[in-house]
Amino acid sequence: MTTKTRRSKSGDDQIPKLSKELCNRLLADLERARRPVLYATKCSLDNALYNHKVGFLTPGDKKVATELNVSSVKKMSRAIFMLEILLRNIDTGAVNTKRELYYISKGEIKHNPMLKPLDFSDQPESDATIDFICEMLECYREELNCYANDRGGQTYSQQLVVTETLPDGDQAVIDLSKLGTSPFQPKNRPQSLKLSARKKIDFCLIIESEGTANTLVANGFTKRHNCILIGAQGVPSNAVRGWTKLIQDQLSVPLYFFGDLDAYTLQNIYRTLKAGSAASLIRNSDYSAPEVRFLGVLPEDIKKYDLNDYPVKESDAAEGRALKKAADALKNDPFFQDKRNKGVAQILKWLLEHKRRCEQQAYFTVDPRDPTMPEKIIVEKIKRGNYV
Amino acid sequence: MTSAKKKAAGPKASARSAAKTEKAETEQAKEIARSSKAGNKITTSSTAEYFSKNLQQVGFSSQIKATLTTLKEAVDNALDACEEHGILPEVTVVIEKLGAGSIKNSDQVRIRVEDNGPGIDPDDVPKVFGEYLASSKFGRGRCSRGQQGIGISAATTWAQLTCASGAKVTTKTKAMRKAVSCVVEVDIKHNRGVIKNRETIDWDRPNGTAVEFVFDGRVQLNGEAGLLSYLNGTTLVNPHLTLHYKVPDMELQTVERVSQEIPQVPEATEPHPHTMKLGEFIAHSHLFGRVKTGVWLKRGFSRVTDGTLQDLVKGGIKSSMLEKSVDALGEADFKSLFTAIQNLQLMAPSTKSVLSIGEESLSKSIRRLGAVDFFSVVTRKPTICDFKPVEVEVAIARLEDRSIDPDSPVQTLRFANRVPLQFDKSACAIAQALTSVNWRAYGLAQPKESFPIGPYIIAVSVVSPFIKFKNASKETIDASDELVEEIRRALIQAGQKLSKHIRREEKANELEEKIRHIEQFGPILVHGICRIVDAPDSRRTKAEEGLRKLLGRDAEVAEQELEQAHSRLEAQKEKEASRQPVVEAIEEGVLQED
Ligand SMILES: Nc1ncnc2c1ncn2[C@@H]1O[C@H](COP(=O)(O)OP(=O)(O)OP(=O)(O)O)[C@@H](O)[C@H]1O
Ligand SMILES: [Mg+2]
Repeated sequence: MTTKTRRSKSGDDQIPKLSKELCNRLLADLERARRPVLYATKCSLDNALYNHKVGFLTPGDKKVATELNVSSVKKMSRAIFMLEILLRNIDTGAVNTKRELYYISKGEIKHNPMLKPLDFSDQPESDATIDFICEMLECYREELNCYANDRGGQTYSQQLVVTETLPDGDQAVIDLSKLGTSPFQPKNRPQSLKLSARKKIDFCLIIESEGTANTLVANGFTKRHNCILIGAQGVPSNAVRGWTKLIQDQLSVPLYFFGDLDAYTLQNIYRTLKAGSAASLIRNSDYSAPEVRFLGVLPEDIKKYDLNDYPVKESDAAEGRALKKAADALKNDPFFQDKRNKGVAQILKWLLEHKRRCEQQAYFTVDPRDPTMPEKIIVEKIKRGNYV
Repeated sequence: MTSAKKKAAGPKASARSAAKTEKAETEQAKEIARSSKAGNKITTSSTAEYFSKNLQQVGFSSQIKATLTTLKEAVDNALDACEEHGILPEVTVVIEKLGAGSIKNSDQVRIRVEDNGPGIDPDDVPKVFGEYLASSKFGRGRCSRGQQGIGISAATTWAQLTCASGAKVTTKTKAMRKAVSCVVEVDIKHNRGVIKNRETIDWDRPNGTAVEFVFDGRVQLNGEAGLLSYLNGTTLVNPHLTLHYKVPDMELQTVERVSQEIPQVPEATEPHPHTMKLGEFIAHSHLFGRVKTGVWLKRGFSRVTDGTLQDLVKGGIKSSMLEKSVDALGEADFKSLFTAIQNLQLMAPSTKSVLSIGEESLSKSIRRLGAVDFFSVVTRKPTICDFKPVEVEVAIARLEDRSIDPDSPVQTLRFANRVPLQFDKSACAIAQALTSVNWRAYGLAQPKESFPIGPYIIAVSVVSPFIKFKNASKETIDASDELVEEIRRALIQAGQKLSKHIRREEKANELEEKIRHIEQFGPILVHGICRIVDAPDSRRTKAEEGLRKLLGRDAEVAEQELEQAHSRLEAQKEKEASRQPVVEAIEEGVLQED
């Protein structure tokens, strides 16, 4: 199954069509007693390409081949079984979570004893089957009407208006300025959302910590500035990534990311938001926002604002791993190797060299009596172009 | 009463008659028993009195152990006696619970052990069952089960103390027309056996002995310390034994002999001077009385020659000392002599005195333990560990019984001179060797640094005329580095042989799994695909056929692999079969060198 060129995203009939093609090919091979082989894109760093003009990590030519043999026959049988369920969902417009699909498969098997050998003993088994289908069809889970319970980051704005087209064709209009202190959190279905601004929006700020995003809003950030403010909630989920991309594409506002100064944040959070990840090579085109800039915390901020930083505990397993990964990224990650990303690569180098880290909340030390101090610094940094 | 002391004692006795030896040695042993207690005020206490107060030292430390020890002493004696007299043993064991015992939480237990051995001269009966340190095997440096002349008298004492009943004995030698039946009690004050209710009766056999004890104890059948473990172990290492046994809650069982060969217990060798401590060295001299020191050294020890004596003189021992009678030597003399000998290079002792069960017999015997899937046996060449001759043998079997918890440790059977060891496992040389082996390499599961797990029996037999035990109750073999290493090597060899079976089995399982897979998933897969593309039945049938062909090819490959594994195993078996005589030839070579 080599779909070299990604199909156009339009049209819900793509998945059924692709599935039928795949099954037809399988069947034809079997009829001739030929061993069918399925190819899936290899999703790892050694198959990741980066071109700043494209802006995100794209897959190379490497494929992972799964051939039908005694040891893979069970896996394939399960995949075909699950695919049938998913195709039925697409046909009727029903959506499910992975867990629900696990129970649906259980129910199918209960009513058809012949399928008993396929039975999943736990949810990770059925999840793996769904992932395998995505690899075979080179599609996202969401395209199979399977939605994880993930939501776009908590979003605040006095200007943003979201129009959602519901499956039945109805439209819902959400004016974020009417939500009070409640954040807006879109589902991972960016294609059904239309964004507009009641007034010109100056920038979009994505903050690593949801808590800090909340504090800034409570202290009046969105009242004083025409902006969108998002809490990213750690490593961005597909929904957060898709949402950020949507803002970038539809509103053409500058986007800034504000988070901790450490190897983990730079590589796992910021890089993923901006250029995607190696594990999601085939999804990066829809789930990255190449325009996002790294606002801070920058190494120079430490001195400039006299921020409290502290040494990285290399003895700590997680932190040690992040540092090792950082050294590795400088050598092998095409994103950090690209000249255009020299700024962030430089920060990684600085982190490796100084083995210190500084958290986003450190801005609160600058003037402990002024709760709007972090806001002032952020705005000043944006104004002065103090970001990479 | 340390066994080391006992073993070291004893002059070469082969020239003398058994009865005389017994008497002479008994007297000497009493000497030693007394001298070893020198410094203790209770010098007037008889040997019997000493043991009756210290029964826990000789295997009567708990209710459960009392039952096991009584059984063990009687069966071991039967086997020893048969072996001595060239008789294929047939032993009947009956264990019954008669009711509640007088001690709290105990049962009144009756154990009867009957053998077809030589029988006991009626005059010797009180000595055998009622007198401590009366033995025909005493300290002779042979690999017999019994060594000390304590065992059966201790059992009599226990019965007497707990149930006021002595040993009920029936015995008949070939020379007797009728059997003698009597009760023997221990006269504890005087270490003497006392005969009661003596009568002559008809007995439907040419010769044999039956002994019966009624005592307080507990009957535990299962587990490593259980009676069944003892009986199983005993049958394993005695392929020539036919055993009938009736124990509570079980039918009468008969285990037929699988070998017609009576093990030849090799002649004794004298102790090697390097295995002794000073005290043992001095005690050893007491057994010789009035002989020249040089003669004592040459006769009483192995590997001491005229050349050795010359070396001693060169090393500073006065030649006049060697001419002196050994009973005239003072402690200082012994000390200098002892040190001088320890400093000499001596030839390692001979390995002639050990015996082996043999791989062939073990192979047959292990199948008597229950249905087994496969097994492997290894008989090592006799070797020297810590200057003592030893022979290690290993048998490993996987049991068919799938009711055994797959996560429980393997069942281990430990043997010292063919006597099962059932207590204090952890410190034992055998247990240490067992945990030191990486069993995962051979296909067995094994948590880190512990016993492997699974439905296996691992039996290790150590045979040596001078086994060093950790304590007086003889349950733990002292774990010297050399001995642990020797046992470890035997286990590794057995593990390697076993792994071939396990690999073959894995391959067979794989094949079975593959075939099952094809049959299960083939149709489901094709049906699913056909439903998605809405294919007609004709396509479906054709695809099913195609799939079968495809997966069938895979199965063929697996089958070939299985065949290869199988033929490798066969090749190994053949190699072993043809190697057998070669090994023996080598062993003979070794023996001749000695
Ligand atoms: N069933 C028997 N048939 C013939 N002779 C026996 C029998 N049982 C015991 N004897 C004789 O009685 C002796 C004493 O037995 P006893 O068990 O007390 O000592 P042992 O076997 O020599 O040593 P240990 O104390 O280690 O058992 C034996 O050495 C043997 O000569
Ligand atoms: Mg005995």
